[in-house]
Amino acid sequence: MSLVSGPGRGGITEGQLPSELRLYVDKHVTYIQSLDKRKDELEYWLTEHLRLSGLYWGLTALHLLGQPDALPRSEVLDFVISCLQDDGGFAAAPQHDSHMLYTVSGVQILAMLDALDEFDERVSGGREKVARFIANLQHPKTGTFAGDIWGETDTRFLYGALNALSLLGMTNLVDVDKAVEHVQACANSDGGYGTSPGAESHAGQVFTCVGALAIAGRLDLVDRDKLGGWLSERQLSNGGLNGRPEKLEDVCYSWWVVSSLAMIDRLHWISGSKLQEFILKCQDPDHGGISDRPGDMVDVFHTVFGIAGLSLTKYPGLVEVDPI
Amino acid sequence: MASHGVPRIAPTEARTGQARQKELEKIEEYVDLVAQVNKNIAERHFTIEVLALTSKLLKRNPEDYTVWNHRRLILQHHFKNPPAASAQSQSVSTALSASQQSVLDLITSDLGFLVPLLVAFPKCYWIWNHRIWLLEQSTSHLPAITVRRLWQDELSLVGKMLNRDKRNFHGWNYRRLVVAQLELHSPSDGHADSSDTSRQTSMVETEFIYTTKMINSDLGNFSAWHNRSKLIPRLLDERQADAAARRKMLDAEFDLTQQGLIDPENQSMWFYHQSLMSTLSPECPRHAAIVLDLTNHDRCGYYERELARVKEMLDDYQDCKWVYQALLQYAAVYREVDAGNKACTTTEMRHWLRELQRLDPLRSGRWDDIEKSLGL
Repeated sequence: MSLVSGPGRGGITEGQLPSELRLYVDKHVTYIQSLDKRKDELEYWLTEHLRLSGLYWGLTALHLLGQPDALPRSEVLDFVISCLQDDGGFAAAPQHDSHMLYTVSGVQILAMLDALDEFDERVSGGREKVARFIANLQHPKTGTFAGDIWGETDTRFLYGALNALSLLGMTNLVDVDKAVEHVQACANSDGGYGTSPGAESHAGQVFTCVGALAIAGRLDLVDRDKLGGWLSERQLSNGGLNGRPEKLEDVCYSWWVVSSLAMIDRLHWISGSKLQEFILKCQDPDHGGISDRPGDMVDVFHTVFGIAGLSLTKYPGLVEVDPI
Repeated sequence: MASHGVPRIAPTEARTGQARQKELEKIEEYVDLVAQVNKNIAERHFTIEVLALTSKLLKRNPEDYTVWNHRRLILQHHFKNPPAASAQSQSVSTALSASQQSVLDLITSDLGFLVPLLVAFPKCYWIWNHRIWLLEQSTSHLPAITVRRLWQDELSLVGKMLNRDKRNFHGWNYRRLVVAQLELHSPSDGHADSSDTSRQTSMVETEFIYTTKMINSDLGNFSAWHNRSKLIPRLLDERQADAAARRKMLDAEFDLTQQGLIDPENQSMWFYHQSLMSTLSPECPRHAAIVLDLTNHDRCGYYERELARVKEMLDDYQDCKWVYQALLQYAAVYREVDAGNKACTTTEMRHWLRELQRLDPLRSGRWDDIEKSLGL
């Protein structure tokens, strides 16, 4: 079992938009199911390095669309376990190395399939092994986390670590207070957060930092009005959201911005209906999938974040998503 | 990673038999190359030939993080067991041993390999990450003066990268890292003893000038404004600026924003103005503060002056929501410091709020909340 996460090929000619603004549920389900059957496309092989995350994105989209069984559970589980490495981390695919990003995806899939116990049965002490891999990547002095043994640090990894450890019920293995201190050090005067202390605020990093604080139970540290104001200014007149001031809109911010707003109770500070309109315009109505902007190539990354954005803004018929 | 800004193309079915065959051949070639690299790494064949194979792969697909790891394993092996340096490169060197020279050659050649990749894929985390790793390696294998020269070259590289894309946040993060490293490996310090902070040479003044240059070429470059806001408090501390110098700096920055607000839709400018206003607050942390001895009387003076300046903009821009937003926000803060102030009335505030609700319906939820919280 494996699944391509790279671009699917949109079927409509350039510039042509969906005629009717509705969610093409069946098309998206078929699109996600088709991703594993595209081995005759070079893109399939060029995206192997993010296969496990691709599977998580596809599976999450299917859960939100109310079709959690559209991918065969046992094959998904087999693939996840085949990505587990000797060091306790997950790789993107069997021939790859462990990394925090894919370890988080692995744990998220196991949790979503309610398979954590099964995982322990199949891999003795599996949960603890994975949790220790994650815990060992925390920097003892600064509280931040590296992505792997090569040492790159980023608040993306810090959030991922807390997310996975909380799903595993093992946040006690790390110094949560130190991690919170690090997040605080990444805060800026505009209310947002950056990748590291001193870095410019970015909606993706706002999500990771606010998410980490939410998991740590420290949302009291967020200046909600200031951050909410900055986040709400991400919405442009076409309804789409950008990630930083004066940048282009992109469907993936429908997740990073909107889930952050939801975590600080400011979801109503943007127009949900305008955002929904924008996301629906990014669909490929013929072959399924959602792209970054109308008319562009679709991929599973934008598909899940588009659908999650619709779910957060209460689009009818979708399963409600947890913003954290 | 995911596809950004890639136009939709014809579906799979539409590809002709020939194009399809060509794609299958490309796949076979790629998969073979991956298998070849994996096999060599598994057998610990850390040779220069295998390094060249990883180059070939990474040029096709710089997002494949595992191949970068393979590359580091090979380089690490050669750093530990350096081959004899070529006679040519030895002659260039001043005081390097033969093994140091060969480490330097490897690092320099790898840094060179990355440049066209960075230009082609400026948003790829793994390329930046590998570059940082290489430079970190230089610290453990090479003399301080050589390390410093390497970092010095990085400063000009990142300058070029930021000229190509003025907002690239990888570029700005990298610039801050390079500057921190150069400050650490200062020229006066032949031994690069990082524990001796007194010997570090600060670059805060030149970096401040750099932000001015970037802002002058594009007032909407929020990345530059952001960096400036982080540099100013440090700059003042290092200048050991007295109270008067600090006030002068704050005034100069407020004046600068006035120039920028010639375009009232310049969001970057408003966010910078807002960040200057937030330094007036008694809750502003010391590391972000500009003036350290503000009294409430001083605060009121600043609020009045800035409110008056923004109000003046209403003469020309009655339909710019940013003007009303700033007025309302600053008036609310001013009211907290001095409830009886004459600079703005509740009637005015109510009017600004109505204008915001009219001009900016996307965020009506926010304006409604503000209406309630301010009791308007």
